Amino acid sequence: MSTAPPSVLGNLGAMQASPSLLPTGSMPPAPGHAAAWAALDEPAEWEGFSRPVAGREGWWESYLAIDGMHCAACALTVEEVLNNLPGVEAVHVNGVTATARLQWRPQATRPSAWMAAVRKAGYGALPAGDLMLAGRRMQAQRVMLWRWLVAGFCMMQVMMYAAPAYLASAGEITPDIQALLGWASWVLTLPVLLFSCWPFFSAALRDVRQLRIGMDVPVALGVLIAFGASTAATFDPGSPWGGYASYDAVPMFVFFLLSGRLLEQRLRDRTAGALEALMRRLPDSVERQDADGSFRAVAVRRLVAGDLIRVLPGQAFPADGAVETGESRVDQSLLTGESRPLLRRVGDGVIAGSHNLTSVLLVRVQRVGPQTRYAEIVALMEQASVEKPGLVQLVDRIASPFLIAVLLASAAAAVWWWPFGPAHAMAVAVSVLIVTCPCALSLATPAAMLAGAGALARGGVLVRKLQALESCAGIDTVVFDKTGTLTEDRMDVIMAHTPVGVNRDEACDMAGALARHSLHPVSRAIAARFPAPGWVASEVEEVAGRGLRGKVARLDGSGQQYLWLGSASFCGAPVPGRGAPLLQAHLSDGEHYLAGFELDEAIRPDAARAVSSLLELGIRVQLLSGDTGQAVAHLARRAGIEWCFAECKPEVKLEHVRRLQREGHRVMMVGDGMNDGPVLAVADVSMAMGEAVPLAQAKADFIMTGNRLLTVPALLVQARRTRTIVRQNLLWAAIYNAACVPLAIVGYMPIWLAGFGMAASSLLVVANSARLARLAPEQ
Amino acid sequence: MDILFLLIPLSVVLALLIIGALGWAVWRGQFEALEQEAERILHTD
Repeated sequence: MSTAPPSVLGNLGAMQASPSLLPTGSMPPAPGHAAAWAALDEPAEWEGFSRPVAGREGWWESYLAIDGMHCAACALTVEEVLNNLPGVEAVHVNGVTATARLQWRPQATRPSAWMAAVRKAGYGALPAGDLMLAGRRMQAQRVMLWRWLVAGFCMMQVMMYAAPAYLASAGEITPDIQALLGWASWVLTLPVLLFSCWPFFSAALRDVRQLRIGMDVPVALGVLIAFGASTAATFDPGSPWGGYASYDAVPMFVFFLLSGRLLEQRLRDRTAGALEALMRRLPDSVERQDADGSFRAVAVRRLVAGDLIRVLPGQAFPADGAVETGESRVDQSLLTGESRPLLRRVGDGVIAGSHNLTSVLLVRVQRVGPQTRYAEIVALMEQASVEKPGLVQLVDRIASPFLIAVLLASAAAAVWWWPFGPAHAMAVAVSVLIVTCPCALSLATPAAMLAGAGALARGGVLVRKLQALESCAGIDTVVFDKTGTLTEDRMDVIMAHTPVGVNRDEACDMAGALARHSLHPVSRAIAARFPAPGWVASEVEEVAGRGLRGKVARLDGSGQQYLWLGSASFCGAPVPGRGAPLLQAHLSDGEHYLAGFELDEAIRPDAARAVSSLLELGIRVQLLSGDTGQAVAHLARRAGIEWCFAECKPEVKLEHVRRLQREGHRVMMVGDGMNDGPVLAVADVSMAMGEAVPLAQAKADFIMTGNRLLTVPALLVQARRTRTIVRQNLLWAAIYNAACVPLAIVGYMPIWLAGFGMAASSLLVVANSARLARLAPEQ
Repeated sequence: MDILFLLIPLSVVLALLIIGALGWAVWRGQFEALEQEAERILHTD
């Protein structure tokens, strides 16, 4: 039976007082969840995810997004749990969309009680206001499905009425039976015409009113003409249409067309799913610290910058901020494409929409609402998805003359065939109208590009201009900026050496313990490289610009020494001469030289792999930097880049890219988006690191949200695949129309076949594009 | 063959009724989450 004792869960007070009701183990500390949910019990918050039930006084209907359901049985479990709560009725859990809808009575229950019950059953529940909108879309889907079923069923029935006419020999069917079959067919074609065809008619009507010609105009015209001719033939057998009572054609054609649209809609919903998943990630309530230091749950929209919030494991961050207390792993995969959980310590930034995985974090809020990176990403994705790339605009321009040509061709065919009987002429004209649909043509490019861009967004690249995806496929040269692009904004120890006779590990650990006390980039690099858990430093003082000195000892106090860490002169010990061009730091005990460290800018861990993948793709890779020659050459060697140019001022970089373009190269520039704006603008395609600047200000075609350089080759591969698929689609649409229009004009194409061909053609294009929804595996 | 004059109109009425039944099924959500209902019988409650 119930997995939760209803008497306790129904009583809100008991629930809040009793942490034992909430899951224990890996989900500490349970009372926090209860507090977060308690915020939902405020009547002011209900509007966010509920509405009063019409015609049922005192009842509310709410929508929840359920986490962690993997199968149909899970949905049943959740449904049962909710159904067993007092004051909750009409529960419907949908396992496919992972959503729940329920009606409840505020007198008997509160939202926090359901949340606790669902969680106790092992699932997560979030109030989901956006599902109320989804409810409207679901209604549209249901109407669509009904239209399709009506068309399909009427098609079968009408075909049965038509069968005798095909099977019987002349004179076998008496005229009165023939008339009866005709009327029966007419009655059953009417629902198809009035109900199933409505989307085509309304779209055609809208086009005609705006004096445009759209794809639905020929379809609506074809249906009307075929139905009108058949009606005339049925009710006035003596008319010139006498021989043409082919009702079976209309429902069949409409059925094929609707089948195509239905499948197309499903495919497109799946592509759009990623964006929606992104939009639903923000929690509705969060625990905020009050003036008295305690944490109270408040609605996310009441947060302001400067608030201190507590985020439990399993929760999403509601705003951008910096960790104030705690250490945890966070999952940013949907926002940056970074699939590994990332460690976040005190002082590190966390972004709204990412998930806290392992332990409790206290976060100081920095940006809320539309200023968060999450909001910027969502806005950019929305903007890119409505923009029309050049190829689409071209197709749109072609489509309208093409449609006019179709109308003229069908009129011409009707005139040509008129001497052979008006009924036959009509049938040919209708076939021509129906078979030549530019649907496939106008779907060919946008379907592919949207699918391609969606996959890229999930992989860590935001497409700001769909147009750029087109030009990206032709790129033959990639130019990287150095600082902040190939390198991270920090130093890295690349070599540590000790003189003979000194314990190397011990010396490094002592340096690490000392370096922990400074925020200088060099100290940070040494401390990060040598964490030295067994050592502590005390009485440390920092001499600005020169180094550190202090007492270093083991944890048990043994081995205490006074040490210097810093420049050669600061250490005061004779330093063995080394001609390295790199930044150096030295450790000494005042008399003896103990260790030396060579540091360099930290290269991004995947830089070398990204460069080698690009080279495999046959692309020239270059490095431009304003830094000195030696440092640049050294870094280029580490990354595997053959061509590098040092000491480039911004205008030199600009000139370099222009010269490459004059030589006929198509250049992609990858920069940090901050200092290299002009170069990014002049390159054929530009990509910026998403870390440095507010996304809206980055002047690049693509933005790398995860700062993973491997996304550069992945982007180029995806762009090339997209180009291939767009070409396939366009080629298919052209071949289809070139083959079918003449066939229809000469009268070899029955109406039903025309409808089938058109639906199959657009479906083929959409399905082909759907192949882009996943990125090619990384080499 | 006079019976056809009864049967054909009857089949039309039947077809219209079935269209209505399909609509009822669609709006009751019978075509959503198909597996879930199939598994309901295996679910102990």
